[in-house]
Amino acid sequence: MNELRRDDFTNAGDSTANFVEQSYSNALMETASRIPEVVCLGVDLSVPTESDKFRDTLPDRFFAVGMAEANAIGMASGMARMGDIPFVHSFGVFLTRRPYDQVAMQIAYPNVNVKMIGFLPGLTSNLGVSHQAIEDIALMRILPNLTVVEPAGPEQYRAAMNAIVDHQGPVYFRARRTVGEETTFQVPDDFRIGGSQVLRKGEDIVIFACGIMVQLAMQAAEKLSTQGIQASVVNVYSIKPIDSPTVCELSAKVGRVLTLENHTVIGGLGDAVSAELAEEGVSVKLKKMGLKDVFSEGASIDYLLKKYKLDVSSIVEEAKVVTA
Amino acid sequence: MNDRSHTEFLGSKYSENDLAPIAHRIRCDVLEMVATLGRGYLQQGLGATDLLSVLFFEELTLRVEDPGWEDRDRFVLSTAHNSAVFYATLAERGFFSKSELKKYCQDGAPYEVLVSERVGPPVEATCGSLGQGLSVAVGMALSARRKNKHLRVYVLMGDAEMQEGQVWEAAMAAASHALGNLCLIVDVNQMQAEGPMENVINVGPVSDKWKAFGWNTQTVDGHDFGAIRGAFAEARNTKDGPSVILAATTVGKGVGFLEGDRCHNMYVTEEIAAKARVVLNESGS
Repeated sequence: MNELRRDDFTNAGDSTANFVEQSYSNALMETASRIPEVVCLGVDLSVPTESDKFRDTLPDRFFAVGMAEANAIGMASGMARMGDIPFVHSFGVFLTRRPYDQVAMQIAYPNVNVKMIGFLPGLTSNLGVSHQAIEDIALMRILPNLTVVEPAGPEQYRAAMNAIVDHQGPVYFRARRTVGEETTFQVPDDFRIGGSQVLRKGEDIVIFACGIMVQLAMQAAEKLSTQGIQASVVNVYSIKPIDSPTVCELSAKVGRVLTLENHTVIGGLGDAVSAELAEEGVSVKLKKMGLKDVFSEGASIDYLLKKYKLDVSSIVEEAKVVTA
Repeated sequence: MNDRSHTEFLGSKYSENDLAPIAHRIRCDVLEMVATLGRGYLQQGLGATDLLSVLFFEELTLRVEDPGWEDRDRFVLSTAHNSAVFYATLAERGFFSKSELKKYCQDGAPYEVLVSERVGPPVEATCGSLGQGLSVAVGMALSARRKNKHLRVYVLMGDAEMQEGQVWEAAMAAASHALGNLCLIVDVNQMQAEGPMENVINVGPVSDKWKAFGWNTQTVDGHDFGAIRGAFAEARNTKDGPSVILAATTVGKGVGFLEGDRCHNMYVTEEIAAKARVVLNESGS
């Protein structure tokens, strides 16, 4: 009999699906062994959210809810009120768009200690508009009491996990399975809520990025450097609260700003940066790169990044416009 | 070891004869609270008074002197708009002074028209967005069991909330996890914002639905203290799964000329209030 293998819903395609690194899962398991109050609520997506190992090795701390996100959010609130630290793992769309009122009323308003982990950020799914979280940062950012983070890569997952679980209050963690793709830059492994990482220093333009866009920003910066444009790159992994001093000081110094997000340009990182600059009276030339108020479609990540002008050469071109 | 001395009030302290005057005083408070505002949820309040009386004076294990006691039973008011009767019940029970009821819906006071946890325990959650209370209660019951706590979790939900799909998600989860420590009371007053439920959408057959979802299902007269008490006892003895008590109530109960008038958020003129006051005074004497 043939052994059937599950698709993991990443945008990596079949050939690389074997190389999933379980970076998130490892971080979760470490935290679970450190903190007995950590429990998981499953909404039928344990494998593609790397919570299956938790499910299988800590069954008395895993609670299946089925495909019922509104109920899962309510249950998580109830469990948190009893002293547990519930993690709800799903795809970003199903933790934000779908149970939004429940998140607002049962998580954000009571400020309960629930961690919502949303996978398949932005264009990283080939499943199309139903599964692509392109406005999850915006939706979660505007809710009072919520903390919103998106680490740049697996290097940060362990520190990010420790930070969010030690933070008393609700968190939306935008996560991505890493599927063995080659990265050109190793992100430092530190993480602090409200922090950021200045990964590169240049005097001509500063690029603020989060999630997968950090790697692309670093590649673009290398290319720009060969063309005589020196870019600073900042990993803004904590989107709310945002590292306002770093954002404002670097922007004021450089004067030209590019924001990069795997997300709509409305309400996400770009707007968060813009708002800080405006409120602090920092006058800069600024461009926001991301989805320009459009829905995406089901296709490969490389195709989508090109189509929506979020690939390295598009970033290079936009940086040239800003610095021209 | 669980340090609960199971409910100091259960059965012994209050008898059926004792609950009647309690419920009467609560109804009088509800009338005055809503009359002061000139409009509000008077009908539902009068309808749910008897259920809340049994709950807070007999069934729930709570400590008035320590509302946040961690082993208390949890009570979730999913119909958060039915606030006047809830606050009146808490005051009658001694959680706060009756003079606090004068602050109902006053600016700056925690006693909002839709019950908020700003009040603090025993308000356990902020509902109001209908259909959400049961899910929170399912989570509480699950955590309580996981921690080997013997407390029970109760939810009071309106029958129209069954129109919200989330209720059935929660119903499925509670049965699937065999939550014997969970008791749902549905206030079957057959009323919603647009009026009589049958004019809006039919949710029946209600009892069959809950049975089909795997719940221990009982139907009682929501104004018969003995029947309500018996239903809670059976729910407590049902250890292998969740229980639902479908309590048929009459809106406006206790004020003859208001009884059965399914007006969701009604204007209570001074004339209506005066007339209702006379009826309540007569029945209370």
